[in-house]
Amino acid sequence: MLSINNCQIQIEGCLITLPNITLEKGELLVITGPSGMGKSTFLHWILGDSIRHANISGEIMLNGVPLSGVNIEQRRIGLLMQDVHLFPHLNVLDNICFALPHRLKDEQGSKLSRRQRKDSAMQMLNKINMGYVAEHYSHQLSGGERSRVGLVRALANQPQALLMDEPFAALDPDTSAKVSQWAFSQLHERGVPSIMVSHDLNNIPSQAQHLDLANYFQQV
Amino acid sequence: MMWQTSKHANIRSRIGFFNSFGWANLALLFAVLLSVLSVSPVALGNSTLKETISELEASQQWQQTLKEARGQTVYFYAWGGSKPVNDYLRWAAREIASRYKVRLRHVKVADISEAVSRLKAEDGSKSAIDLLWVNGENFSYLKAQKLLLGKLPSAIPNTTLLATEQLSLHNDFGVPMEGYEVPWGVGQFNLIANQSLFSAKNPEQTSITPADILSAAERNPGRISYPRPPEFHGTTFLKQLLVALTNSDPRLFALATPNAQQQLLPVLWHYLDKLHPIIWQNGSAFPSSNTEQLALFTQQQLDLAVSFNPNQMAKEQSEKRIASNAQRLFFDGGAITNSHNLAIPKGAQSPAGAKVVIHFLLSELAQKHKVDGSWGDPAVITPLLDPASTLPAQQELHSSWQQVIEDTWQQKYGA
Amino acid sequence: MNNRLLAKSQLSPSNQLYSAIDLGLKSTAWVLVAIIALAPLFGVVIGLWPAAELDWAAISRFLGYNGLAYSVASTLLLSLVAPLIALYIAFMVYSQYRFNRRWQSLEKRLAPLLSLPHLAVALGLVYLFSSGGMLWSVLWGFVGQTAPEWLGLPRKSMLTMILAISIKEVPFFLLIFSAIGRQLAIKQWLLQGRALGYSESASWWLIVFPVVLKQSRLAVLAAMAYTLSVLDISLLIGPNIPELYAVVLYNWQTGFTPDEQTFAFLGNLLLIAMLGVLIACIYIHERLVTKQLANQAVMANPLNITRLSGVFTAWLGFFSLLTLAILATFLLWSLGWNTHSTFNTANWSTSLWQDEWFFMQGPLLNSLHIAFFSSILGVGVTLLALELQRHNKRYFPDYLWLLAILLPQLSMVYGWQIVHTSSNASYHSSWIILSHVPFTFAYSYLVLRGPFQSLNRHYELVAASFGYSPWQRWWKVRFMLLRPALLSAFAIAFSVSIAQYIPTLMIGAGRVATITTEAVAIASGNEQSITAVYILVQAALPFIAFLVASILAQRTRGSVDAEHQ
Repeated sequence: MLSINNCQIQIEGCLITLPNITLEKGELLVITGPSGMGKSTFLHWILGDSIRHANISGEIMLNGVPLSGVNIEQRRIGLLMQDVHLFPHLNVLDNICFALPHRLKDEQGSKLSRRQRKDSAMQMLNKINMGYVAEHYSHQLSGGERSRVGLVRALANQPQALLMDEPFAALDPDTSAKVSQWAFSQLHERGVPSIMVSHDLNNIPSQAQHLDLANYFQQV
Repeated sequence: MMWQTSKHANIRSRIGFFNSFGWANLALLFAVLLSVLSVSPVALGNSTLKETISELEASQQWQQTLKEARGQTVYFYAWGGSKPVNDYLRWAAREIASRYKVRLRHVKVADISEAVSRLKAEDGSKSAIDLLWVNGENFSYLKAQKLLLGKLPSAIPNTTLLATEQLSLHNDFGVPMEGYEVPWGVGQFNLIANQSLFSAKNPEQTSITPADILSAAERNPGRISYPRPPEFHGTTFLKQLLVALTNSDPRLFALATPNAQQQLLPVLWHYLDKLHPIIWQNGSAFPSSNTEQLALFTQQQLDLAVSFNPNQMAKEQSEKRIASNAQRLFFDGGAITNSHNLAIPKGAQSPAGAKVVIHFLLSELAQKHKVDGSWGDPAVITPLLDPASTLPAQQELHSSWQQVIEDTWQQKYGA
Repeated sequence: MNNRLLAKSQLSPSNQLYSAIDLGLKSTAWVLVAIIALAPLFGVVIGLWPAAELDWAAISRFLGYNGLAYSVASTLLLSLVAPLIALYIAFMVYSQYRFNRRWQSLEKRLAPLLSLPHLAVALGLVYLFSSGGMLWSVLWGFVGQTAPEWLGLPRKSMLTMILAISIKEVPFFLLIFSAIGRQLAIKQWLLQGRALGYSESASWWLIVFPVVLKQSRLAVLAAMAYTLSVLDISLLIGPNIPELYAVVLYNWQTGFTPDEQTFAFLGNLLLIAMLGVLIACIYIHERLVTKQLANQAVMANPLNITRLSGVFTAWLGFFSLLTLAILATFLLWSLGWNTHSTFNTANWSTSLWQDEWFFMQGPLLNSLHIAFFSSILGVGVTLLALELQRHNKRYFPDYLWLLAILLPQLSMVYGWQIVHTSSNASYHSSWIILSHVPFTFAYSYLVLRGPFQSLNRHYELVAASFGYSPWQRWWKVRFMLLRPALLSAFAIAFSVSIAQYIPTLMIGAGRVATITTEAVAIASGNEQSITAVYILVQAALPFIAFLVASILAQRTRGSVDAEHQ
């Protein structure tokens, strides 16, 4: 469960006071609003990244633990951006292995070997019928393929929550619809609470919560 | 660049050392040569010399030096631009190692001033240099700064062999050596010319005049040049011209007074004014050094090269780098002659080893190998003096002239 | 997991300890980086300091030195023009090759083309193209005549010097461009340009050139500083009536009269001032060109003249041929061939190689180990310097980091030598390695700064979200992504170390001979056959480094291939 309370965003003379947010397992929050209002910055703040052009305050609780003062790498929150940033020096399979948690264990409780990690990454790809890209590098993939691999990689990390920054905006409408539908079902299936920043409200599942920043904004 | 890197004479030299006239000196040299030529004195001289040296070698002082030198490594800073010289030093290193158990390491430098600059930085403290090949300006600087070990002749038996009187080896460009360096070889300024260049004269010709050069340049435009002063060979070329053009005016061998400059120099500039428009690149560029000029000569870009080694032409011919009909020439009045020398820094770490190396390099064996081998540098020891291959010597100008010639040349033609 | 998380965030005392250690590490790192980067300045101050007892008479004698003004002016002209010509040619070549199948063969061949030393190019050029040079002799030999005099390149002239330097620097700029280009979305820009109706060549100039020009500022400066102070080729092919400034300065610096000492001091100051002029010129040139191109863009000028750069598709062929011709010349020389021999009469022999090979092995091994360690250290310190600046979120001006390239080397190393000898240090090769590090550092900084700064930070952010610690992120992401750039930097640093003569001789006191100390000493004798042997061996070392780097780079993918492909 992810909750954000008493959150205020101060950016370029604007003050945005957000309502308290609570996301249960598998729930999705879509944030919209005019550009320049700090939507992406808000995601980076949740992630734990250092924020430069804004001031954000508030409490984040993930599964009942406060996140203030916790490093990015200890938060276990995933991030999916428009440019997926697949590591160019690794092929698709190794990109996914890179994201698999270090302490991943098999049924007997012993740490996975190199081979086993590769196998489980391959399984994830196969599950979505993308085994054929395993040996490819980022620049050899199409936009749609890259987005899907990006999501597989993000989920491989078993995040406690996932943040998405216009993840499908670069895709053509057809692909975007297909990929996003598939993505939301994946997230729901895994029970990962997610927040997505988007410009367009098409292809959003009906049960998703919606927050329009424009409604909470005041000039100072 | 060569071991003669002196660009300027030493002005601090003793005035009046060369106060005799050129012809007198020449006569003296010839007299000495004649006496050496006659058989009995040579035999006699050699046998007494050998006795003296064996006595010196047996002395406790030298035995002590040999003992100290054992196992030492001698770092010898010397110009590394000549394969014959490098090969000679490799040979010497092998000989010295087997005879004296001393390791000789040739530190090759592009210009010996690099060694001088190091001695300057070390400022008399522990030195990385044990021995260096030096003369002219570099020597006079090191001596003046008291950076050299003195009393070398009395510490090294083979210095007794030096033909000091015959070759006038007391001075290095007007600076008395005074035991701070030891002559190693002799340089005599000579020209190497393609046979066609001076064809008007007979092929047996061995000496030339400035007029010969001018008329040769007229017949062969663009085929003559000389190293750009203050490069040492270029300056020497100008000195030779000046001596010849003024009929060895005595004032050239005394301090260059303003008066003398005014009266003597114009003839040289007048000559060069005529010469420059018809030489290589119309005098708008000059070879940077004698070695570069020789390279241009071997590439048939020039018909004239200059050298301080009287045997250089023969050696180049035997290596088939220059044509077999090339001529060696010297200026009518004689070849300017000087020595190149060995010195030990005061802060040397292996002074004993360095003395042993000098001792060997002055030995009959080493000096003979030097003149007979691919280097061909003339010997400086009495037993090997070879008047047949020695050119008539021209006395050096008073050192003050060098600066004057170089400065005025730079003023007139340097830009 | 949550418990662990809680525990960690509450362990504040140990956090303080960590940050104390962190602070300690950081300040140590800063000190280390500052020592390496400022060593050149330190050396110059020490090296120049005691020499001077200045009075106005000396200064006026200095200013009155005949030919000084000419010498300074012609050297400035040379240092300005030759690198810029090379820059423009390189850009046209780059624009013709980048998005073309030709690019791969260019990248493959850049290594051997870069490794030919300047001296070799200069010697080869005059030997091939001067009047009576080999090329003309052969060409005219077919018709049984001798080539006309005017056709040949003068042996010593400004023209020859400009030609040699501008030809030699082109591959260097190509290497720089290929590093810069990998960070820019050039392909998209060109697409935009063409969509707006400009020809591809016009788009290169209007859109790409201003950006590339700005980013290659440092490289241009490095090339200019090199041209300004290069001695060996100035002596060999430069005009000497008047002499180029580097030669004049060298003559003062190696002289020992009080006047020469003073002149050397003032001359070094003048050299630094000339460098300042060149820096100003770089900015002025950049502004003029950018403004001019912006004007053209505003006027929507189709810039048809840019189609001329099509000529430069032939560059690779031409340059490869030239390199081969030069190498062949040296090989022939080293085997005993000379102007007096025809192919039948030459004393063909490998004896020179056999003779020298025995004596070369020691220097070769010295060269290799010194270059290997000093370039590793140089690249390492560069990474450290860049990382520290990234942490501080502030980058110092580049000139501060490139002092080793910019300041006069002879005085700099002389200063180090004074410190080295007065501290009674040994002459072990580790000192030589240390003395090379400021140079390998400066050159690898030159190569690495661009790729390092423009590396997209989101890669590390993504890795952080996967739970990787800062150290892991640095090693597994940043370092890995920088690998291709690191390899280029290593190869360049390696060849820079190989080429060092002055620090090797002055700090090593000749105890440690390298192939370059041997080659420079031998080249000073102008004996063509043996000089050829050493130049060939000397060129082989950077060649190996560039070759290895390019083979490894082809096997690794980095930030390079990330975007814009």
